[in-house]
Amino acid sequence: MTAMAAHELKEYEGLINRLSQVVKLSDAFPDQMSDEGLEGILHFLPSNLAGSMRAFLAPRIRDVSIEILKTYGAWLDSAFRAGEEGKKVFLIPFNFPPEVIHCFEGAWPVTSEVLSTLGVASLEGQGERYWDYAMGLGLPDSACSANMIEVGSALTAVDFKPDVIISDCLGSCDINSKTHEFLARYMDIPLLFLEKTVDNSERGINQYYLYFKTLVEEVEEFLGEKLDEERMREVIGNANRASELYWELWDLHKYSPCPVPNIFSLFLYGIRYTMWGTEDAVKAIEAMVDKCSERLKKGEYPAEMEVARAIWSYTSYYFDMAGFFNWMEEHGITHLGDGLDLFFPQVIDTTSRETMIRGLAEIARNMPMTRQMGASSMSVQWLDDIIWATRELDADCVIYCGHHSCKQTWSGASVMRSELMKRTKIPTLILQGDSWIGRMTPMSALQETIEEFVNNVVKQRRTTVRAVG
Amino acid sequence: MNALQCLQSQSTDIFTEYVRDWKEKGGKVLGYACVATPVEVIEAAGILPYRIKAFGHPDTELGDAYLARFNCRFCRACLQLGLDGTYDFLDGIIETNGCDHLRGMFENWQHVKGYEFFHYLKVPHFVREDSLDYFEEELSLMRQAISKYFGVDITDEALLKAIKTYDEIQGKLKKLYALREQARPAVTGAEVMQIICTGSSLRGEDFGALLTGILEEKANASVPPYRARLMLLGSATDEIDLVREMEAQGALIATDALCFGSRSFWARAGGKGDPVRLLAERYLSHLFCPRMFTEYQERWDYILETARRANVDGAVIVYNKFCDLHGVEAVSQRMDLEKNGIPVLVLEKDYGSQADTGRIKTRVQAFLERIGG
Repeated sequence: MTAMAAHELKEYEGLINRLSQVVKLSDAFPDQMSDEGLEGILHFLPSNLAGSMRAFLAPRIRDVSIEILKTYGAWLDSAFRAGEEGKKVFLIPFNFPPEVIHCFEGAWPVTSEVLSTLGVASLEGQGERYWDYAMGLGLPDSACSANMIEVGSALTAVDFKPDVIISDCLGSCDINSKTHEFLARYMDIPLLFLEKTVDNSERGINQYYLYFKTLVEEVEEFLGEKLDEERMREVIGNANRASELYWELWDLHKYSPCPVPNIFSLFLYGIRYTMWGTEDAVKAIEAMVDKCSERLKKGEYPAEMEVARAIWSYTSYYFDMAGFFNWMEEHGITHLGDGLDLFFPQVIDTTSRETMIRGLAEIARNMPMTRQMGASSMSVQWLDDIIWATRELDADCVIYCGHHSCKQTWSGASVMRSELMKRTKIPTLILQGDSWIGRMTPMSALQETIEEFVNNVVKQRRTTVRAVG
Repeated sequence: MNALQCLQSQSTDIFTEYVRDWKEKGGKVLGYACVATPVEVIEAAGILPYRIKAFGHPDTELGDAYLARFNCRFCRACLQLGLDGTYDFLDGIIETNGCDHLRGMFENWQHVKGYEFFHYLKVPHFVREDSLDYFEEELSLMRQAISKYFGVDITDEALLKAIKTYDEIQGKLKKLYALREQARPAVTGAEVMQIICTGSSLRGEDFGALLTGILEEKANASVPPYRARLMLLGSATDEIDLVREMEAQGALIATDALCFGSRSFWARAGGKGDPVRLLAERYLSHLFCPRMFTEYQERWDYILETARRANVDGAVIVYNKFCDLHGVEAVSQRMDLEKNGIPVLVLEKDYGSQADTGRIKTRVQAFLERIGG
């Protein structure tokens, strides 16, 4: 009875606490699940969770999805056990490399945007109650829901509390850096930070390294733990292996029809922002690569033909996974990845502590948003990266989701669209909506616009149609 | 025409007679938008530093074509004036990373107009020895860039002279604030905003001379009766009409913590040594802007000290829709002001929009009634 009470959820419970219960469901999934078995499970799940599970557990990706869900479960479970194990939990944003935290024995990272996304995907009522709580405090409704949903939950004081926050959004995102600052003050927990110098010159890069080293020293001081070279080597070894696998997966995207399922874009960066540097991350990405290689051999694609190959230039939509990722590929629209997949992983030289720290700094400098929005020119760096990706992956259109909070990308979207057309003749669709909150623009409206764009603009311009087989 | 009338007559023009005259005499003009830009460097080059403003300009159709409706309307209005030719008198622009919207504004402006001289001054978001060193180098690079492009030698002597000029301006503006904040105020909030806005389009020595005249004229003046003394704080606003409208409802904006107000000059004085290092320390250490990270306490101390000095009955936090920095900061400011017994009105508004006027008037009236004004 006592043990049961320990797991009982309060009437108004925080996002992480609720999530920790939901992700445990994946432990109960058998490795092989029949369609009938899945339908039976979905029947008993709340509608929002059932909808996401329908996307995750589509037959063509079911085995990999179960592996991924178990990885997220282990990640969250470790955060809950951190206190018992004498570890400190670091709340980090998506653009901070979690392997830096994994390099410390006494630390564990939780990533606010991943928590928000999992919450939206799996909790009844998605993340709206936490968003509403934050709005109730007076925080602006133009804030980023990716961050604010989790932060709103943290502000309720009925949720899991991290020990410290790292913000590395200074220079690349005002709203997130201000939100982190507010949260740390409100919760009375320490705030460590790393500024991105908006300067791509050698001088700017060196200054960033200097800031990064200071941050590492501050983490060491906070934890009372010096970075151990052997542990770093092990963690970075895993990160290096994951980076190699990332590029294998990248290359698999080049085939047409694309053997990489649309939702793998999300799976990949979900792992990147949480578990990079762990063996679990390597296993999860290996499973993705194996699945795609197998699909390539068999010539599998969910639609009769691939009618469009789209790069999503910044984020995707996460409030209806089935309506977004699965719907597109079932209509022949390949999602080649979005801006959050563009983290340009590199193999780090593990010769010494110094080479590893410098390598980690370089990784941090190239994380999504940091790299583009924290560049000397937001629009130019963003444009360069998207042009490179469209050429690499033979994309025939770009779609900008228009997440309403992203003021930086919104301010570069016009330059992006016109320059992309001038230089590559690739059209861009600009949507408007909130990536994490469905009440801004419903998925049906987004689907309709995407379909019109593909049928009226993209298809008309294509010279070849990629038939399956 | 007295000194204040002289300022008022041009206060909402962009291409003023003063600037026209300066240009006709062969003078150069450099535009900048953020108070983190050390104007002393521009001044020392013999160039007119011109702070980009929009004065509540209501049209944004060109600005909207490049920025988006999710960007701050102040930036869209400034971009509008940049793209429609109003700002064509500028000989170049100094960009700063004041905020994400401002960066977007500059990038689009430059994308369309392609100024030959477009220099990006990168301002760190925190104050530490390493960030100060970096900012000092940034100022040296700005100095070099201006020297090279405009063919002028910016000597240390010229820099020190410009610093002295702005120190004198600061002293005079503080005297003006004393006249504004005293028990029987001699100057209104709208007048002060006019003075500061107009002064940001003048050469330092000319602004200093005008301030001397204004101080003499206002020494024994008094403002009309008012219902309550308010402090105005928040985001970049050069909307003199907005302040005038608030004061028409019976408020007296007795002081402010605005960047078109006291934040543009208050703490920037003192220190000595190498002029570039001095400017780096003065500017980075005293921005009092929410763009600066982990400095809430310093900003709060500044706000509270200002509110107490002016003995205000309430505070109005005003910020433009989609302003991330002030949108978040307003929550803490409201909580802390109220904890200190200062009633607060938070006004999130659309910059320059006539449609917001009625709503704002109603809210200000209601606030004045609430605080017993």
